Amino acid sequence: MMRTSSLTTVVGINFRLRFIAGIVLGFALATTAAAGGDPVAGREKSKVCAACHGEDGNSPNPAYPRLAGQYANYLERALLDYQSGERQNAIMAGLAAPLSKADIEDLSAYFAGQNGDLFAVDLD
Amino acid sequence: MRRIVNALGAVLISLSASTALATGDAEQGRYKAHTCLGCHGAPGYSNAYPTYHVPKLGGQHAEYIVAALNAYAAGQRKHPTMHANAVTLSEQDIADIAAYFAGMERP
Repeated sequence: MMRTSSLTTVVGINFRLRFIAGIVLGFALATTAAAGGDPVAGREKSKVCAACHGEDGNSPNPAYPRLAGQYANYLERALLDYQSGERQNAIMAGLAAPLSKADIEDLSAYFAGQNGDLFAVDLD
Repeated sequence: MRRIVNALGAVLISLSASTALATGDAEQGRYKAHTCLGCHGAPGYSNAYPTYHVPKLGGQHAEYIVAALNAYAAGQRKHPTMHANAVTLSEQDIADIAAYFAGMERP
């Protein structure tokens, strides 16, 4: 009786471990997918952006935002909003219109990975 | 005569407009940015629905921050929280806040 119950426990733990491993793997894949942009491809696609935002996203012109080091998912959101018209800007509407989802992710990954003057303010 | 007065008036208006845009006081901006820092002062803080990180503002160009706040106030950028905050700001407030973020030293 004792042996059976301990065997049940072992099987139970094994199942639970596999379950947890599955969840961890799932999260890992989801995170990779979210940050799925290819910065090397993004660099190739960024030539048009460079005219205003600088080659590495450190805009020399103060009218245009610095992109270097900005959060990738914020940059993605900005481009999506330019496409949908949620964010209205005559220049960016035209430039964002032809971009695919992959283009947006690649460009965002590229600029997010550059170094520059931009930083997150930390009050603590 | 009226034409001259009109022309002078136009010059004065454009002068005052460009002056208001040009001068931001970073020290004043530090106090006025208190509300902003609730979200923009916490690295990695996320917007919800849709989910994305609240943008980094330290070291951003002042001129761009001014344009962004004006666009939120005017509804050209649609974000309920940013709209609600931006509409309460005067032109001087916006210039001061922009000067504060633009002039911050990287920690």
